[in-house]
Amino acid sequence: MASLMRPTTLLRQTALASRSAAFARPAAVRAAAFQTSSRKSAILPAGPQVIQGGVNDPAPIPTPSAAHGSYHWAFERLVAAGLVPLTIAPFAAGSLNPTLDAIFCGTLLIHSHMGFQQVVIDYIPQKGWPKLRKGATWLLNLVTLMVGVGLYEFETNDVGITEGVKRVWTAKAGTE
Amino acid sequence: MLASRVGVAATRSAAKPFMAQNLPKLALAARVPATQYRPIATVKHTPAEGDQILAKQRLNRPVSPHLGIYKMNQTWFGSSAWTRITGCTLSGVAYLYFGSYLLAPLFGWHLESASLAAAFAGLPMLVNGGIKFLLGFPFAMHFFNGVKHLVLDTGRGYAKSTLVRVETAAWSFGILGGLFLAFGL
Repeated sequence: MASLMRPTTLLRQTALASRSAAFARPAAVRAAAFQTSSRKSAILPAGPQVIQGGVNDPAPIPTPSAAHGSYHWAFERLVAAGLVPLTIAPFAAGSLNPTLDAIFCGTLLIHSHMGFQQVVIDYIPQKGWPKLRKGATWLLNLVTLMVGVGLYEFETNDVGITEGVKRVWTAKAGTE
Repeated sequence: MLASRVGVAATRSAAKPFMAQNLPKLALAARVPATQYRPIATVKHTPAEGDQILAKQRLNRPVSPHLGIYKMNQTWFGSSAWTRITGCTLSGVAYLYFGSYLLAPLFGWHLESASLAAAFAGLPMLVNGGIKFLLGFPFAMHFFNGVKHLVLDTGRGYAKSTLVRVETAAWSFGILGGLFLAFGL
């Protein structure tokens, strides 16, 4: 048992000395700076740190959901695989008929939306920036909807995406 | 007693700080209980404040070496990173164009394919070719890398030599394909 009467060892002497000097400053541990490399980091510093629950709680396991897990993965791959022949066909045939062009537009829109979703999920973690993440998700949904309507307008009022790209790409100054 | 032992004992007693030497005397004088008395000052913290201290301390932890220590052809020229960059470029341009096409009547702009083709044809050849390369290169890169990732998803092509060769092939296809689409069509 600890006692003031008994002389202490060197280690405990230094501990007592530091504690007695602590009368002047709070005993809470101050943030200590470690040695870090002087080279500039190739990526940005860590985002805001959030501790959920207590420090002794285990890391939360996300609820398993096939819709957001394996089905989403398979659907993404199916869309990407479907886009391969749809992209080669205009090069082979010159242009696509309106139905095929509409299917191409829809598939391209879904592919782009899923790609941007991955970017938002990867770079705006829920824990660090919850409001920004929610805002970005909703903004993406809104913009995809708007682009969908724009694509519909382009298909009906204009020549369609494959024919349009062909005309702009091969536009020559003499032919107007 | 040996002279060295005297020296050690003398240094040890000299190294004892003031409190440890005199605390017993002070405790007796102040009638403080000799056992279980720790002169410590504490600060009351709520659990949330304690969590904040911990969270701030996390930001000071040393970071293990990461991107800077690996070869540039894996970090800066990696195909998965460039698949994403090229995909975002192409989709970004498409989104901007079709979004503007929808809103054009509100602002009086003319963004139909005919006016776009006319404006494009009027540009000097190098600018024309440059814009086409800036769109053709992402298209070729994204197409090649897309097919590559679909093949990788089936489980094939993970041998080290295969990966290296396909990465070089991706860049060759991207640059040459972009040049062909820009100046060859």
